[in-house]
Amino acid sequence: MGADEVPLDDKAKRMRDLLSSFYSPESAMSTATDSANHASPDDINSNSFDPDHYMNIMVHKSNLEGLLQRHVEMAAEIKNLDTDLQMLVYENYNKFISATDTIKRMKSNISGMETNMEQLLEKIMSVQSRSDTVNTSLFDKREHIEKLHRTCNLLRKVQFIYDLPDRLNKCIKSEAYADAVRFYTGAMPILKAYGDSSFQDCKIASEEAMATIVKNLQGKLFSDSESIQKRAEAAVLLKQLEFPVDNLKAKLLEKLDQSLTDIQLKPEEIKDVSVEHTSSGSAHEASIHEFVEAVRAFRVIFPDSEEQLVSLAKDLVTKNFAIAEEYVQTRICAADLLGVLRVIWNDVLLLDEVLQEAALSDHSLEAAKVVVMSYVKSAFSHLLQDISDSLLKVLKKDGMGEYSLEGALDASSKAVLQGGMDILLEFRKLLDHDSGVLVRLRDLTIDLVQEGIQDFFKQLEDHFLLFSGRKNSSAFKYHGLVEGAQGDKAFPGLVLVLAQLSAFIEQTVIPKITEEIATSFSGGSVRGYEYGPAFVPGEICRKFRSAGEKFLHLYVNERTQRISFLLKKRFTTPNWFKHKEPREVHMFVDLLLQELEAIGTEVKQILPQGKRKHRRTDSNGSTASSRSNPLREEKLSRTNTQKARSQLLETHLAKLFKQKVEIFTKVEYTQESVVTTIVKLSLKSLQEFVRLQTFNRSGFQQVQLDIQFLRIPLREIVEDEAAIDFLLDEVIVATAERCLDPIPLEPPILDKLIQTKLAKSKEQNAIPS
Amino acid sequence: MQGASSGIGYGLKYQARCISDVKADTDHTTFLAGTLSLKEENEVHLIRLSSSGTELFCEGLFSHPNEIWDLVSCPFDQRIFSTVYSNGETYGAAIWQIPELYGELNSPQLEKITSLDNHVGKIKCILWWPSGRHDKLISIDEENLYLWSLDVSKKTAQIQSQDSAGMPHKISGGAWDPHDVNSVAATYESSLQLWDVRSMGKTISIECSHVRSVDYHPKRKHVLVTAEHESGVHIWDLRKPKVPIQELPGHTHWTWIVKCNPEYDGMILSAGTDSTLNLWLASLGNDDLSTESQAESPTHWVDPLLNTYSDYEDSIYGLTWSSREPWIFASLSYDGRVVVESVKPFISKK
Repeated sequence: MGADEVPLDDKAKRMRDLLSSFYSPESAMSTATDSANHASPDDINSNSFDPDHYMNIMVHKSNLEGLLQRHVEMAAEIKNLDTDLQMLVYENYNKFISATDTIKRMKSNISGMETNMEQLLEKIMSVQSRSDTVNTSLFDKREHIEKLHRTCNLLRKVQFIYDLPDRLNKCIKSEAYADAVRFYTGAMPILKAYGDSSFQDCKIASEEAMATIVKNLQGKLFSDSESIQKRAEAAVLLKQLEFPVDNLKAKLLEKLDQSLTDIQLKPEEIKDVSVEHTSSGSAHEASIHEFVEAVRAFRVIFPDSEEQLVSLAKDLVTKNFAIAEEYVQTRICAADLLGVLRVIWNDVLLLDEVLQEAALSDHSLEAAKVVVMSYVKSAFSHLLQDISDSLLKVLKKDGMGEYSLEGALDASSKAVLQGGMDILLEFRKLLDHDSGVLVRLRDLTIDLVQEGIQDFFKQLEDHFLLFSGRKNSSAFKYHGLVEGAQGDKAFPGLVLVLAQLSAFIEQTVIPKITEEIATSFSGGSVRGYEYGPAFVPGEICRKFRSAGEKFLHLYVNERTQRISFLLKKRFTTPNWFKHKEPREVHMFVDLLLQELEAIGTEVKQILPQGKRKHRRTDSNGSTASSRSNPLREEKLSRTNTQKARSQLLETHLAKLFKQKVEIFTKVEYTQESVVTTIVKLSLKSLQEFVRLQTFNRSGFQQVQLDIQFLRIPLREIVEDEAAIDFLLDEVIVATAERCLDPIPLEPPILDKLIQTKLAKSKEQNAIPS
Repeated sequence: MQGASSGIGYGLKYQARCISDVKADTDHTTFLAGTLSLKEENEVHLIRLSSSGTELFCEGLFSHPNEIWDLVSCPFDQRIFSTVYSNGETYGAAIWQIPELYGELNSPQLEKITSLDNHVGKIKCILWWPSGRHDKLISIDEENLYLWSLDVSKKTAQIQSQDSAGMPHKISGGAWDPHDVNSVAATYESSLQLWDVRSMGKTISIECSHVRSVDYHPKRKHVLVTAEHESGVHIWDLRKPKVPIQELPGHTHWTWIVKCNPEYDGMILSAGTDSTLNLWLASLGNDDLSTESQAESPTHWVDPLLNTYSDYEDSIYGLTWSSREPWIFASLSYDGRVVVESVKPFISKK
């Protein structure tokens, strides 16, 4: 079976190959070569088949039996192939015949078509030539029509331009400015191009019309009665007309600027406002409202004008604050300041609504700070001025005569205390106020007040020192006082007043102020300490205490100097060595007592009375002698033959036995202390003057007499009698030492002379009274 | 206020006003003091501080014919000194020499070299040029100023030139500028007047009242110190005579005398009729312009008063620093008590 199948397969394949070689020789060729390539010479189906070779192989390979079998096989195969060939020929013959028939039919059909085609071509050609003729005949007319159409358009435009003035005028009449502007801007290019030649009249006319329009628009823009919308439109139109809007803007701004002057504060009016809320205040309010409206309008009209407006508004606020600051310089009370600040703040708030960019509230906060600062400053400086004025009245001559020291002290201490408290009260008002800026400035205000008061007291002390400095007379000139005898005479009084006033400040004013500050002005310290320390009462107290002591010393010095001058004249002028016998108490004693009396009256006006420290306990009652006196009297009564050396020794001894008298004690704030100090210093000076002279007997007696006379009146005015007695004795001793022949006056004579003097002065006193 | 008496005392017999440092004695710290007694025989004491510095002893005692109002030791010869004296009525001035070998004599007499006789009024003081050998002397009375040419060897003194005070006020004292041999300052009642000795013409005048004593700063040119009755001690710069550089408060009563320390800058002694003696340390700054800066910065203010010596019984009129030991000074109170003190503790503090 197997053997049968293989040849069958081979047979089919060969058939197909043959067919295909028939229809497409090339491919058959290729397949042939292909198969030739593959085939070996012994393959019977390939083109390179070599029958001899095949035969050789077969002979060599196979035996006879095999060869015979192969022969049979091949014969069968050849037979098969023959049948196949026959079948193929039969099959394909029919196909050839039908194909030949079809070709014959086709030939007959095509021969009819050619004529039809020629007919068609002919017809198309004729249509084309017809259309060409129509076209050429219509061409001229079409061009003409197009030209006409263009002319027509141009004419229409020219017509429009010729009509433009009328049209514009019409628009003006109907106030349809927007249309007018549109027309005009439409015609603009033509007018620009031909305006100089053909359309000159037309251009001029329309420009005239436009001028009116512009004018009207400007009018509209500037008129406050128009609505903002309309004004804005006008501005836009003007801008379209390329009108210099900036210029207009500047003008408008100027106008606004001018209106500012109306808005500017008039503090005097505000003062009224704080009293009655009607008249002038509302005027200000109205104008600020107006301004705000204007600003709002402006912003709409010129959206790019913020910057200017902001600066304008800032300007306004700054100006107002400047006015407020100026106003603060004059004497105003806190309420007035509050009024002013409130008005300004309201303005600021209003403006802030319109112009948020301006950050006006911040700006004005700064400005308000400045105002409050300067208010505090000026308040203190006014107080300082008040005090100075009341003090310096001492130096001025009042119509009636000298201004009493007492009055000056009263006035100035009142000025200090009351003024200080008042000023704090005023500041409190600032703190208590609950509106706007001030609340934000609260801490700052507290700081300012604390610093202010510290500074104030420092300055006050400086002022005091300045007044007390005699050489710096510029201080007095500054206060418009005439230098000269009057000032000189009153000067010690002033110093005394200063002394007491300093004590008063230290003891009374400062504690009160401290208390007030503690209750109302605590907190603060936002500013830190770089601006100066807050209120330090301790320091101020110390300052005033030392200043007071200084003034008191100065007063004592001033007064002592004058007495010293008197004494100097008395003791350096005469030639004591040739003095005549004493006849009466010398008149310098009167002068001295007068001076002391003057001091007494001054002191009584100013200083409190001290506890009188009587030291009479260790003296012998009312007799004119102190403890050491008997010894001295005795000593002096001795003749000069006694050795001076032993005299000196005696003096020393006497001193040793006596308690050392404190001559130079601390001055206190009492009448007696001051007077005593002055007397002591004067007597000490007297002693020193005496020591510089040399006396004869009469000279010595004169001094003895004078001193003896002084004894009683001096005792009456001083508190430390022992010291005075001691000093008086010292004067006599000193005189004795400087005398070649110190024989004292006999007590009766002494007594008599003193009595005469007393009688005489009594008489003198009696006459004027 | 310290009253501690660290000082060494020495008593003169009588009251006295003047004491002078013997500058020319370089071997010892010596002072000369003269008494002021109207009725007794006056004495000049040569007082020497022992080398241990704990004791004062009398080196010489010489009688002087009249009470002595002024006494100055010659700066270049320790044996010469000048006095101004008075018999109560009239005044005189003389140059004296301490005799040689005085220690061996019982009552040595002073040799009078010459007397300066042309004065009429109250003679106030005699000035030697403080900085060395100079053959000129200046004597001042209430109205006049005389320049003398002194020849010690010939024992003569001649007036070279003179000038009158030319003011209603009287002269009260004076000082010779150690930096300028031609400049002399004299004190008036109401001002301080400077003279140029060559021309005997007045130069600068400073307004200040009741000047009692004046002393030049030994180290700094142009600086001088005045003591005024009421207003204490003032320090002046002659280049700026309007306002004092510094004011020191002075004394409770008059400030009588003021002396600059010869060595320590700004150390000033003042003595007064309140029987106290004050030691000051004035901050004069660094010469020239620093005075202004000092005035501008009062924050650096320190109490210029270093110490008060109050252990005295009477007014102090005599005061002198020792030039040999510049931390030592001698003071003389009216009751005739010489007290020598050392300011060493205050120097070390500096």
